[in-house]
Amino acid sequence: MTSILEISHLNKVYEKKSILSDINLKITSGSVTALIGANGAGKTTLINSILDLIPHDSGEVRFLAGNDWKKITGVMMQDNISIHRITVQEIIQLSRSYFKYSLSYQQLLKISGLENQQKHFMSKLSGGQKRRLAFALALAGDPQILFLDEPTVGMDSNARNDFWQKIDQLRQHGKTIIVTSHYLEELENIADRFLILQNSTIVFDGTIQELRNMSGNGVVEFDSQLSEKIFISLTDVISINQVGHHFQIVTNNTNSLMLELTNYLQALENLQIKQTNLDTLLLNYKENTHD
Amino acid sequence: MTNYLFQLKMNFKRIMLRNKAFFFFDMMLPTIFYLLYTKILTVGIPTSTLPTWNENYLISMMVYSCMLGGIITTSNTLLDDQTSHFNLFIALKPISKIQYYSAMAIVFLCLNLISSLIICLVGIWVNHISISLPLLAVLILINLIGTIPLILLGALTALAKNPNTVNLLNNLIVFPLAIISGLWWPIQMMPTWLQKIGKIMPTYQLSLLDQNLLHKSTINFSAILIIFAWFIAIALLFFVIGNIQKRKGLSIQ
Repeated sequence: MTSILEISHLNKVYEKKSILSDINLKITSGSVTALIGANGAGKTTLINSILDLIPHDSGEVRFLAGNDWKKITGVMMQDNISIHRITVQEIIQLSRSYFKYSLSYQQLLKISGLENQQKHFMSKLSGGQKRRLAFALALAGDPQILFLDEPTVGMDSNARNDFWQKIDQLRQHGKTIIVTSHYLEELENIADRFLILQNSTIVFDGTIQELRNMSGNGVVEFDSQLSEKIFISLTDVISINQVGHHFQIVTNNTNSLMLELTNYLQALENLQIKQTNLDTLLLNYKENTHD
Repeated sequence: MTNYLFQLKMNFKRIMLRNKAFFFFDMMLPTIFYLLYTKILTVGIPTSTLPTWNENYLISMMVYSCMLGGIITTSNTLLDDQTSHFNLFIALKPISKIQYYSAMAIVFLCLNLISSLIICLVGIWVNHISISLPLLAVLILINLIGTIPLILLGALTALAKNPNTVNLLNNLIVFPLAIISGLWWPIQMMPTWLQKIGKIMPTYQLSLLDQNLLHKSTINFSAILIIFAWFIAIALLFFVIGNIQKRKGLSIQ
């Protein structure tokens, strides 16, 4: 697969604090990469550095398109643009005017879902409407590579579902997507690669299955009067979370854990097996790395 | 070219046509001052010198109007673009920053052109000033070119980012500059040391350039040089501060 974007040895220091430390990354064409991490981990700084919005101290960012990268890039930043006294129609047309080949006005209007607000001023739109408009504006030049920084913040659940469906369609059309989100459950089904940014560097780079292999691929939940010590001693236990008499055990091997738990079956109630979601994986990953 | 014209059209709409209150204020304030100075505050001025007084105030208020538009309108618009993230939107598009700034400067120049024309019309209609149309056109053109350093000064104050700081800076620049340049009262009324400072200001030199052309039919080249020197100095300062801010990651240039 061709690398559409390559980042090597990227470093950024701000006020004597390292924000990005030796970031190395290759983004392949047609991939969906999720950039995840806690607040202040450096996700937005990394995106801003890639997009040359802020300078980096050392390292290199290289787009396959070279200096023409803006012609093939669409960006939806965290902050909504909301120009005063400019209508939805005008900003869409302005966005289109910057590109030689662009999506049609009607296509972009449909993506924004603002067919009834075409003549409305941007500043009068709601937060969710502004996000949808920002998404449409990012797609104006029919970009090959799309950066989405917290794209669904402020959207209601219907709009979020629509949004991820559109992202899925874009993925099927071979677009390269780099996305950050705090709604980790939304990323699970869409991203084929996960990058965990922690303490200014990338600490994990792989698929969700690889992350599960490292941080546990299953969660066994039950209620029991037994002591936590009994369950800690079981093999394949990665972590235990106990709230009152409710236990949540993260494991690498649910089958073997279940086999061991059969010894205590009479003392267990409401037994459930779940696949670990991204939130749990990220939490476990942090706990494991802190240990 | 299409996107440039589109951007220009959009700027006209958002800065002028759809901002009526501001537009009215920007246009009318210098005209009201002109009427005040030539119709009310003229007690004790001999009738024989009144026509010159009216002509000089016409020049002063044209320069003052260009200064208001150049500094305050520019900085407020740029600041507005920062807070609405329009500058971020532009930075991510395949266009040069020159396009963004020049499409805006054209609108500011048109604003100044309109306000100068309004003052001239009032001067001709109310004070019966007799200036030939070609001379009037040349005076307006000189003022527009002379406004460029002031537009740049507005862009410079907008780099302060914080709206309160920008407003404070604008007030600290615009009103003292109007006074010491002799735009509100004759510069001769001020102490000598203040006159010396006032006479090196770009606004004084612009008004001097106009007055020499109007009364003596001569071009004051030293005034042109001083205005040009201001342009270079402000441009340098703008690029230096802008680059420092970008290096620190504070601004999207």
